[in-house]
Amino acid sequence: MLRTTVPLLLVLLLAAPVQAETVAYVGATIHPVSGEAIEDGVLLVRDGRIEAIGSDVDVPGEARTEDLSGLHLYPGLIHAGTVLGLTEIGSVAGTQDTTEMGQINAAIRAEVAVNHDSMLFAPNVAGGLLTAHVVPQGGMIRGTSAAISLSGWNWEEMTLAAPVGMHVAFPRSAAENDDDDDLRLINEVLDQARSWSRAMTAWSDGAAPRPAHNDQFAALEPVLEGEVPVFLHTHGERDMHAALDWAERQGLEEIVLVGGPDLQHLASRLAQGDIPAILNGVHTMPARGWEPYDAAYVAGAKLAEAGVRFAITDGGSAFTAGNARHITFQAGMAAAFGLDREAALKSVTLWPAEIIGLGDELGSLEAGKRATFFAATGDALEVTTQVQRAWIDGEEYDLSRDRQRQLYERYRGRPGRDGDG
Amino acid sequence: MKMTKLFVLTVAVAMGPGLAGAHDIEAWNSPQPEQPDHVLIRNATVWTADEAGILENTDILIRRGEIRRIGEDLRAPRGSIEIDAEGRHVTPGLIDAHSHAAMLGGVNEMSLISTAMVEARDIVDADSINIYRQMAGGLTTMHLMHGSANAIGGQNVTVKLRWGADPADMIIDDAPGTIKFALGENPKQSNWQPDNPRYPQTRHGVAQVVDEKFQMARDYAERHEAHAGRNARDRVPPRRDLEMEALVDILQGDIDVHSHGYRADEFLALMRTAESHGFRIKAFHHVLEGYKVADEMAEHGAGASTFSDWWAFKYEARDAIPYNAALMHERSVQVSINSDNPELARRMNLEAAKAVRYGGVGEHEALKMVTANAADQLGLGHRLGRLKEGMDADLVIWSGHPLSVYSRPDQTWIDGRLYFDRERDLEMREAWEAERQELIALVRESENGEGENDDEEADDNDDQPDENEPGMQLFRQLMGGA
Repeated sequence: MLRTTVPLLLVLLLAAPVQAETVAYVGATIHPVSGEAIEDGVLLVRDGRIEAIGSDVDVPGEARTEDLSGLHLYPGLIHAGTVLGLTEIGSVAGTQDTTEMGQINAAIRAEVAVNHDSMLFAPNVAGGLLTAHVVPQGGMIRGTSAAISLSGWNWEEMTLAAPVGMHVAFPRSAAENDDDDDLRLINEVLDQARSWSRAMTAWSDGAAPRPAHNDQFAALEPVLEGEVPVFLHTHGERDMHAALDWAERQGLEEIVLVGGPDLQHLASRLAQGDIPAILNGVHTMPARGWEPYDAAYVAGAKLAEAGVRFAITDGGSAFTAGNARHITFQAGMAAAFGLDREAALKSVTLWPAEIIGLGDELGSLEAGKRATFFAATGDALEVTTQVQRAWIDGEEYDLSRDRQRQLYERYRGRPGRDGDG
Repeated sequence: MKMTKLFVLTVAVAMGPGLAGAHDIEAWNSPQPEQPDHVLIRNATVWTADEAGILENTDILIRRGEIRRIGEDLRAPRGSIEIDAEGRHVTPGLIDAHSHAAMLGGVNEMSLISTAMVEARDIVDADSINIYRQMAGGLTTMHLMHGSANAIGGQNVTVKLRWGADPADMIIDDAPGTIKFALGENPKQSNWQPDNPRYPQTRHGVAQVVDEKFQMARDYAERHEAHAGRNARDRVPPRRDLEMEALVDILQGDIDVHSHGYRADEFLALMRTAESHGFRIKAFHHVLEGYKVADEMAEHGAGASTFSDWWAFKYEARDAIPYNAALMHERSVQVSINSDNPELARRMNLEAAKAVRYGGVGEHEALKMVTANAADQLGLGHRLGRLKEGMDADLVIWSGHPLSVYSRPDQTWIDGRLYFDRERDLEMREAWEAERQELIALVRESENGEGENDDEEADDNDDQPDENEPGMQLFRQLMGGA
């Protein structure tokens, strides 16, 4: 279709990072994720991007050198589905922009409500979480999500890509009922959007008058054209299958299946269809009383065995947003129950990058990618590891902005009551 | 179709033998494991959670449910069960000082501002699948608490996760009584619109109510004392009041106060109220701003049982920091880390590990936060939470370092009985699934009359309902696995 002037159409805001400097980070063990760990490696960063990485890198004379001996470098963690930026205090309504009312919210754009000064950002950066996929949560067709960097002077600067995907909560009631009311509503909206799209084309061909503006249909147009993927949000095995069946019937080809540990039961179908998945939580109870105690723990291993590309999240609720950084522990739990450790690490770095369309930009430490990484005292998935420094697009993030650390320092310095403190 | 069948299945499984013939109602439940005379665990790295610290290449000898000896190259008494734990770690069984994971029905008696008369021991749910799942995560003891809807809540009960035992047999008989208090947004009903708002609606109101209740309790005690002895014969006795009796027990030190709270101001207020009535707060729970008044808590003698890292979910959790445990620990407050959540309680070792990540608590000290310290706060430090001679043989054998995300419990022992064994769990899965299918078949048979074979149904592997379907909700409710 020639008429591609719809303003929402896949705006990739991949402006060149701004940090104009060449720095060689030396001495650390580098975990590129895309390859083997490099001991005493060199990460050469120029103007915010990775210029070279390896154990034997030619460091140009003008480069500043940073010694990170004893630390481990990892690509920034990526949360594949969160409301970070849309929530502040869960119980205070005025701070909640996660969930619009109504069932059809196709024209909602998550990024425009991201509060760039949210107090939740800095503690997450301090945990190594440097990129987030921000997803709106209201209704059945929920609107479009955005990939954001966790650092920036406003949401526009933070937005790396938008729209990343259109989010559809597949109605559970449709799992066994093709004539489900909710699903019928979604189908009707998609049919109307198609009609509107044809009418727009007819108009642009000079064959018909211009149809009335419609934000929702305009937002759905690139989805129906296959230019914006659909993230299908599901609950259990049955509605997961039903959702994929429905997507096939609708001719939707770019699909990401989002759901809980039941995803493991669809592993072969996902692998065959090359459908990536977002696993909403490893730290979840088995959904059914008779399931093995480790039913959720093993989901990652089952998906990986079948060859599915997947991201591990914490479910992405307002409650978990403050600790979105801790997706590493969920990935680690999956590793304790059979998931290869390298794959576990990929599930919170490279695979989410690929799933949100930023596989060429982020998710691993490779030449040409953004210099978005962190330095930790050990294995990034271990709970006892401490994250010490973080860089976004080559610029070191000032971790003293972390309000939790501020409170820690302040009260640690409180004089003791007996005068010895 | 399926709703009906599900319902029948639900009822059949819940009622057990009546409908399902010889099948036990607790398909996943086990008979109590035997208690061997002697168990010898060899060559483990032993985290004692006690002065002895972490011991390498160490043996633990268990005798009839009690730790008999800890040392190197112990001799195995005849008939001992021997376990080679080379390369593995052993810790005390983990203790969750704040749980609601095995309680029937309402955790909160919401009605009154003080419900000191109600007791959690009446609603212990021995069939909750949470018990097994938490044990599989190394938990052996939990403090089942009343909710936080009232300034003075109900009485709690401490149980061991003796999967398969009756409720009464789960309760630790010599545990001191404990009672739940609550401060802040919950007792003042901030986050919902009650039909009939009750006093108080502010933090100073909560403080006032607690003070007044203890004045009443002292008057009550005086009236009873005055009536005792010689005077008793001639007068009508004062009316008995179970709420006041509980508060008098607090005043006399027979019931320990465990108070939910988030903000520093309210901890301070409650400690001063308690001091004015001559008692102490045993522990503050969640205690998110405990780090702000750690010195005051240490002086008062209050312990702290905190969330590791929850924050920003309520306004009063705005200043919660994951360094809380470390900061309070540094200021000599005895710290435990609790779950308040049945899923989280399956990995309390990793909750403890967060105290290492945030604030650099030593690993052994961190482990104490889910073992020894929790035991002390529950008044059970004399028999639980540490590995040393004479203590209950409640312990976990881990596949690796207990604070590592990559480790799993291989075995969980309670009272010297092997309650959870991962190998056995893996072995039994097929048998359990077969039994479940058999039960489903029986139910279908009874529903379809003469065992009419519905091929389509039989081949439908999708008969596992989602948990939110009405039949499943009832099922879980009846089976207590919610």
